[in-house]
Amino acid sequence: MYLQGQNGLMATWREGFRSRALSAWIIAALMVGFYIDLYWFDHFQPLAEAVGLRNKWYLYGALYCLFMVGGAVYHLRRHGNSRYNQARIATNVGVQVLLAFLLPFVMPLFGGKEFYFSYFWPLKYDLLLPDTIWQLPLYLAIYGLVGSLLLAPVMAFFFGKRWYCSWVCGCGGLANTYGDPWRHLTSTSTRAWRFEQVAIHVVLGLVVFMTGVMGIKALIGHDHPGFVVFADHTKSFYGFLVGSVLSGVVGTGLYPLLGPRVWCRNFCPMAALLGLVQKLGRFRIAVKDDMCISCGNCSAYCEMGIDVRSYAQSNQSFTRAACVGCGMCAHVCPRGVLRLENRFDAQGDKDKQHIVVLDF
Amino acid sequence: MHHVIIGNGVAGIEAAIALRRRHEDARITLVSEESEHFFSRTALMYILAGQLTHRDTEPYERDLYARMGFTRVRARAIGVDPAARSVRLAGDLAPLSYDRLLIASGSRPRPAPWPGGDLPGIGTFVTHQDLAWLERELHGGPGRGGAAPAADAHLSASTDDSPYRQRPVARTLRGSPPQNPMVIGGGLIGIEVIETMLAAGLKPRFVIREEFFWPMAIDAAESAWIQERLREHGVDVLTATQIERFEGDGAVERAVLDSGQTVPCDLCVVAIGVMPNTDWLADSGIERDPGGGIVVGPDLRSSAPGVYAAGDCASVTWFNGSRRPEQLWYTSRDQGRVAAAAMSGDDVAYKRGHWYNSAKLIDIEYTTAGLVDFGYDDLWSWFHEERGAVRSTTRIVCRPGEGDQARVVGFNMLGRRWDHTVLIRWIAERRSLSWVLDHLSEARFDTELVPPLRIPPEARRAPDAAAR
Repeated sequence: MYLQGQNGLMATWREGFRSRALSAWIIAALMVGFYIDLYWFDHFQPLAEAVGLRNKWYLYGALYCLFMVGGAVYHLRRHGNSRYNQARIATNVGVQVLLAFLLPFVMPLFGGKEFYFSYFWPLKYDLLLPDTIWQLPLYLAIYGLVGSLLLAPVMAFFFGKRWYCSWVCGCGGLANTYGDPWRHLTSTSTRAWRFEQVAIHVVLGLVVFMTGVMGIKALIGHDHPGFVVFADHTKSFYGFLVGSVLSGVVGTGLYPLLGPRVWCRNFCPMAALLGLVQKLGRFRIAVKDDMCISCGNCSAYCEMGIDVRSYAQSNQSFTRAACVGCGMCAHVCPRGVLRLENRFDAQGDKDKQHIVVLDF
Repeated sequence: MHHVIIGNGVAGIEAAIALRRRHEDARITLVSEESEHFFSRTALMYILAGQLTHRDTEPYERDLYARMGFTRVRARAIGVDPAARSVRLAGDLAPLSYDRLLIASGSRPRPAPWPGGDLPGIGTFVTHQDLAWLERELHGGPGRGGAAPAADAHLSASTDDSPYRQRPVARTLRGSPPQNPMVIGGGLIGIEVIETMLAAGLKPRFVIREEFFWPMAIDAAESAWIQERLREHGVDVLTATQIERFEGDGAVERAVLDSGQTVPCDLCVVAIGVMPNTDWLADSGIERDPGGGIVVGPDLRSSAPGVYAAGDCASVTWFNGSRRPEQLWYTSRDQGRVAAAAMSGDDVAYKRGHWYNSAKLIDIEYTTAGLVDFGYDDLWSWFHEERGAVRSTTRIVCRPGEGDQARVVGFNMLGRRWDHTVLIRWIAERRSLSWVLDHLSEARFDTELVPPLRIPPEARRAPDAAAR
């Protein structure tokens, strides 16, 4: 296998489980069932204890890693002739196994706090809540605050939100590994785009509201017991709707039918926030002028449903808030038209000369 | 004002869109036999392979015609009467009268010229109908992405000699999938079909008339490199080989080669080029070049008043003064836009800049820019082959420059991605070979983290006079 070029995508629409055949519906039903049981029943608790994991959430963590490793093998067999894919998938799996499973599992054994270093607010929505912060050792509280409010946005400004969504985040990691067979199913339609615009910003608004309410509760809760009830209800409603239903049941369960980034694209408040930063930042997808043949591979294999072709065929380098920088559009382009870049020198663009001379 | 456009390809649709931008209320009619929607022909191989659906290959949403107010006629145009300003249609359809006519009827595949070439199981791969045929031969039918919408809608208004007819499937007649597929023609379409056959799990035989694959674009050393890769994939490459005839009982079973050898062959894709799809203009009086291309001036106007041509069917003047069609996606698009401006009365001229193109040969990316092989005899090449994590070849074509300098006039690059706009700028700036070698990394367009091309110092030296 040599870098660049090889095509692992052929036969996509000839494999039933990748093209919404009965097998795809069965996989989706099993996953939805799994999440419902995980969140609202306790059947997995004895199983977790039987294999020596403290509770069902560690079992879930172990299964999560297993699915990611399996999916990573699948991904790299198809798209592994790209250094970007190799580095990205390896980092993502490594972060998940070490920071989101082994470390939180081991830390309590040494009297530490169970803490997930790879998740930040607003994805990990309770990280900035006073209730949480006061229970954390000081260094972890500072890590959470600085990571969420400074590190994540600053990194997104310079490298795009991909540094998180496609290299670090567990949700993105699962989407890019276990979810890889279904990346072409993300809808590129205008209707899907309109839904995304509304939904993702509503969730962002909700998490800001919920965080604010919990902050106020910490300030005035002593004197207003009614507000405490309201704040706690707000938090549990958010946890139920966003934390369980949208991120788990819908966001992961429906991969085989709606594509692997249902959660990231439509509901993740972290993606919304970093997307806004990305629009102002340095990351972009550069388009080589007048070389696009409008074949549609970039748009079809964009897991975020971005119509990349519409930019490529009109010679427009672009930055979209939704783009998670997985790099697949550039990878699948048969004419090498696209390239992801962190632009530190905008001058290059102005020097670019257009080739086709049109006299009108 | 009624604008009629024959053809629903990139030249036709881009002209229609440009016309609509200019004329909000004009009547715009698109006549097309082949397909319901505008699609990217260059993506046909990806539908065949199961990588894309039909809808994926359509650059605009399907409501384009309604949104833009285009009338779409699914029928074959069978003639033009410039004096009466009307287009004759096949079937029982009434002739269409026009004020301005754009002919953008594209190319048709060159058919198999050999005895037995019309046996079922032998076909071409240029049209939607070719795709439908080859999907059935290779896979037994379309993928789960579905067949083309309204695939048969044109059959009531077509003719027997149309390239958009459907044809019998040898797999159905034989009752079994092909085992010995063959592709004839050492060019881009040929190698694309080879790739899809490999993806379908078959080991095709690749019959090339010339001494090596794709002499139109690459030289013997570059080609040897590609043929090596083809053989690694299990393709049986036969160069300098021609077909005598095909044989078979009801469907193709054997091919007889010019060496006298007979090889089994139960599926054959003929990819020996395309020709302008202009036979239907034979009695129109519109001037065509010897190859059939519609002769147009700089404003893409044909010899008939009010009639223009754009895209593969238009014979345009090239940068070196020769006249022939430019069978490229982006030039067709540009020609469509220029034609629309000319049809609107603008004083425009279609000007082609430096030659450039790109392609993908199985898993090898290809970029070319400038003069690589246009018959100039004072050209020589600096060549470097890279064999590491990336396998690539770099060929920089030079002419004698000022003093001792070699002036760079062209690039032929395999295995890596390059920004052709930068390469062309260097050609225009008349850069020397040593300057270009010093700056080559500025034209990189590889994806991130790909190790850069390193040219060892001993390879940097320009070849001495003897080697030239």
